[in-house]
Amino acid sequence: MKAFPKDKLTAVLDTLAKQATLWVPAIVAGVSRFAPYGPGREVQLGANTVMSPKEALFPATEKIYEYSAYGIDGEFTPVDPSVGPQILFGLRSCDMQGILCLDDVFLTRGYVDDYYAKKREEATLVTLGCVTPGPDCFCYAMGVNPAEHAASDAQLFDLGDAYGIVARTAKGEALVSALETAGLLSESDKAPLPTGDFVLKVDAEGITEKLQHMFDHPLWDAFSRKCLNCGACAYICPTCHCFDISDKKRNAHCGIKIKCWDTCMYSEYALMAGGHNPRPSKKERVRQRFMHKLRYFPERYGKLQCTGCGRCIAKCPVNLEITDVIQQVREAKIDG
Amino acid sequence: MADPTNHANAANPLPVATVDDVKRINPLVPMKARVTRIIEETSDVKTFCVSTIGEDGMPAAPFHTGPGQLAMLSLPGVGEAMFSATDAPDHLQISIKKVGLLTEQLHEICEGQTVGIRGPYGNGFDMEAMKGKNVLFIGGGIGLAPVRSVVRYCVDHREDYGNLHLIYGARTYDDLVFKYDLFETWPKVPDFKVSVTVDRGDDNWKGNVGFVPAFIEQLHPSPENTVCILCGPPIMIKFTLGVLDKLGFTPENVITTLEMRMKCGIGKCGRCNIGSCFVCLDGPVFSLAQLKLLPNEY
Repeated sequence: MKAFPKDKLTAVLDTLAKQATLWVPAIVAGVSRFAPYGPGREVQLGANTVMSPKEALFPATEKIYEYSAYGIDGEFTPVDPSVGPQILFGLRSCDMQGILCLDDVFLTRGYVDDYYAKKREEATLVTLGCVTPGPDCFCYAMGVNPAEHAASDAQLFDLGDAYGIVARTAKGEALVSALETAGLLSESDKAPLPTGDFVLKVDAEGITEKLQHMFDHPLWDAFSRKCLNCGACAYICPTCHCFDISDKKRNAHCGIKIKCWDTCMYSEYALMAGGHNPRPSKKERVRQRFMHKLRYFPERYGKLQCTGCGRCIAKCPVNLEITDVIQQVREAKIDG
Repeated sequence: MADPTNHANAANPLPVATVDDVKRINPLVPMKARVTRIIEETSDVKTFCVSTIGEDGMPAAPFHTGPGQLAMLSLPGVGEAMFSATDAPDHLQISIKKVGLLTEQLHEICEGQTVGIRGPYGNGFDMEAMKGKNVLFIGGGIGLAPVRSVVRYCVDHREDYGNLHLIYGARTYDDLVFKYDLFETWPKVPDFKVSVTVDRGDDNWKGNVGFVPAFIEQLHPSPENTVCILCGPPIMIKFTLGVLDKLGFTPENVITTLEMRMKCGIGKCGRCNIGSCFVCLDGPVFSLAQLKLLPNEY
């Protein structure tokens, strides 16, 4: 396959950054996340990021329109959802799978979310095969192949001293030919390094079907006792898609409408004017989170909404781990 | 008492946007519209007539809403919320009870106010499936708003439906909404029986006093070839379902409309799910039989 030596990585990134906004895994102000590439950017391809890459396509806060209000008059002015061409470089299979979950939500079922659709259309996704799974990784149990993901535009493979690259789509071919034009690629007959062993052992077989009989199970009381409803899990998750739409006033007469990340962990999330809340306590909210990922989403879209990236396991302040939930659900006895 | 909301011009129908147009346009950005008329229904309920403004400066309907469908109404700088909408030939009617910050502000606005409107959202009632059947409408308080959208449809297509019977209740006479429909318009419709009750009687009220479920038992409507459309406060629904079951209504023939907090209206933002259904897309209209298949979380 075509390949470039690892010491040419900077030249590769410089070339790609000329064509589009290039998102790379990096440490930014002490936080491991995907960030636009530029001078001085500390690129980290060795391990996956703490924050998921979803913000490139689904920003944490995004302006959707401007409004003005003068007395009885008012105007609504839409904002262009385009941010221009973007390349997401070095996505892991779990995060590519996360983008497929976001695709299901934002692009199907009769309506398209223009803000996501435009960015997705303009993005070229470059995945990187995993060699050393992290301590919290369990993508294999969620049906994801860590070595490569068929849905990306181009796939990178770790060949030891070089990265192999294979284009899968027209966008991927354009990217590879740009690197060729720059004289950065040569042929390599080396095989990709195999993916190492996973530390975390999980079996999620039949989890959706089992959960269909567990809405009223006492397990949810036990799980929710731990949870702080802090929402950290949702913010770092590559598949969590819930958002709020709210006003941000500039002054008394005008402001912007924003779409921003939100989570079912928060008490006000489903609270209605008048005071009724269908999920009034932690128990209902914790149940909603796990049911959504493992039962409701598969029922609606035919795939699990957990990709086994392990971020929520690594960052949960009270160690409420989805893998533990999966195991306890599988072992749970169901009455009747 | 003539219907004060009826300023339609049936001879000259206006071009309206279809659901496909709404999908083609960005579904999260409201269309500019104007409140052309405000009707004070009760001390805490107002009906807002909302139209977009056509090129000729005359009211133009933003879109048609089918019976039971929803529309997102926004007041710039204050916020937006989802409401049940009733289609009128050249505008939408949205009846709003004062319950929170946005609705309090909406109760302060004057006719002529610019608002944003987006939609229509939701499945609405399947009026085709109800053809040839008798319809029993049961409403409590502001719950008559979504029911009224179905009543109006049945009245407009009178020959398609059998006998109509509305059973409606509110706390007092003053709390009854749509009095012009209840006491003027609907009683004149052929084979349409209107039965109204109040929880507490007063000098203004000569009719039945008592809660809706007890009133239904007393009226004893027949389940024969009848679909029941039910909407009201949860406590009324709870006791009414018991009565309907006793009368012999099957879960397939009891249809209700749910309320959930909504933000996007297009099944993306997540908050209005019940199990794997989104109320904004797959609802808000569900039969009791459908609800029995969903988690009890609404």
